[in-house]
Amino acid sequence: MDLSELERDNTGRCRLNSPVPAVCLKQPCALGVDEAGRGPVLGPMVYAICYCPLSRLADLEALKVADSKTLSESERDRLFARMKEDGDFVGWALDVLSPNLISTSMLGRVKYNLNSLSHDTAAGLVQYALDQGVKVAQVFVDTVGMPETYQQRLQQRFPGIEVTVKAKADSLYPVVSAASICAKVARDQAVKNWKFVEKLQDSDTDYGSGYPNDPKTKAWLRRHVEPVFGFPQFVRFSWRTAQSILEKEAEDVVWDDSVAEDQEGVGRITAYFDEGLRSRTRLPHRVCSRKPGRHSLLHTWAACCESCGTAVLPAVRCRRKHHYAGHDSIAVLEAESPRSGCQRGGVL
Amino acid sequence: MESSDEVAVHKHRIHLRTATLRDAAPVTLHLLPCEVPVNQPAPVGRFFTPAIRLPPPGLEVSFRGRKLRGEEVSVPPGLVGYVMVMEDKHDFSEGSENNEEQGEQELVESPEALERDFDCFIGATASFSRFTLWGLETIPGPDAKVRGALTWPSLAAAIHAQVPED
Repeated sequence: MDLSELERDNTGRCRLNSPVPAVCLKQPCALGVDEAGRGPVLGPMVYAICYCPLSRLADLEALKVADSKTLSESERDRLFARMKEDGDFVGWALDVLSPNLISTSMLGRVKYNLNSLSHDTAAGLVQYALDQGVKVAQVFVDTVGMPETYQQRLQQRFPGIEVTVKAKADSLYPVVSAASICAKVARDQAVKNWKFVEKLQDSDTDYGSGYPNDPKTKAWLRRHVEPVFGFPQFVRFSWRTAQSILEKEAEDVVWDDSVAEDQEGVGRITAYFDEGLRSRTRLPHRVCSRKPGRHSLLHTWAACCESCGTAVLPAVRCRRKHHYAGHDSIAVLEAESPRSGCQRGGVL
Repeated sequence: MESSDEVAVHKHRIHLRTATLRDAAPVTLHLLPCEVPVNQPAPVGRFFTPAIRLPPPGLEVSFRGRKLRGEEVSVPPGLVGYVMVMEDKHDFSEGSENNEEQGEQELVESPEALERDFDCFIGATASFSRFTLWGLETIPGPDAKVRGALTWPSLAAAIHAQVPED
């Protein structure tokens, strides 16, 4: 499998595909969707589709494709090579989502969770097959999340196609098994040949399976903590495992949109002035956007800081409904915050 | 910074080590949209610079798994940027080696005796004429606060310029 495009830039996403067999442009086809590398804290996630004419499904089955997890690496490689030989009736395409893309999606200002990312990638690949002229009649998908809602979503998007979303589809339908093999072969190869964007001092690739519960993976993560930058981009920063290691072993980073739980108290408003020029800390207060009446903490206050529950006076009502603006002129007075237990002040 | 009931507002008198301005070497700077509340060297050249991508219209990188988009900002004409570092608190005891060094500096302040915890010295460690300004997921653009700060010198000059009497 030629992953050279990914090797050139592995910070985004990358699509690869086989030539479309001529027969797939004429005859109704079954198309399977599966993924590899959804769980690991390291490396890319790969989505793959595999399709063949309904009339040739028996030939695909005869290759003895099975759920990629039940096959050894060499069996997968052999089966992938067989599919290539059968390129006159089997086609595939895949989308490699880099760990950086996964991190930045999941940690975005507007969170884009892994399920949505997965669903959209799967739908994007089906659309890609259609755009290439493949006569897709049936789609089989190994589920991510609730099969019912996922199926409904895909069926709405592709009304002319019969969509089946099922758990364990990769062992039930040969086209899904074949897709799972493509995805797994690509993921393994991508991980094996991963080019670190960073200039690391050693080429330590003893990271085990990449799954969070693998002691080798955890040890590798610990060895590669950089106090300021955290990890190389090979790591999915959005994974709990990665985050908890950073919380303990790297420096804090405070973003404008961080929530209260991520920050430590700073102190009184006057503390802002008495630390000299070097240690002044800007406070990432945000004005609560909830209606004042609904606010559980400070019924009588007009607004409060979303980060720490500090009361904000005077509230300046924005022209937009239920929002408070004028952040620059609002002084933050001290108040106890039972929610976060922090006591802070500052100027917005 | 721990909060405490004892609050004292410290005043400082700041002295500039003018000699350092002449030797300050140019440096590449990135202004990030987050706070890292430590002051220490970081391997920017190994971890950050190689990861910068150039999708139009700006620059793109990620930091701690979050996407940043950036643009170059130039220091206004006629001005130079300096990276200033405050020196550690001095031992101002009589006859120290500091006195000799201070003799070389032009102290703009009145020649009062230097006081511990009151007099501070700052010096330049590097200079710059441009830097990369990064925003969280969006290019900071013309409304970025730092751009406002950069317009201040020309505004201040305009305010203090002599106006013809008529």
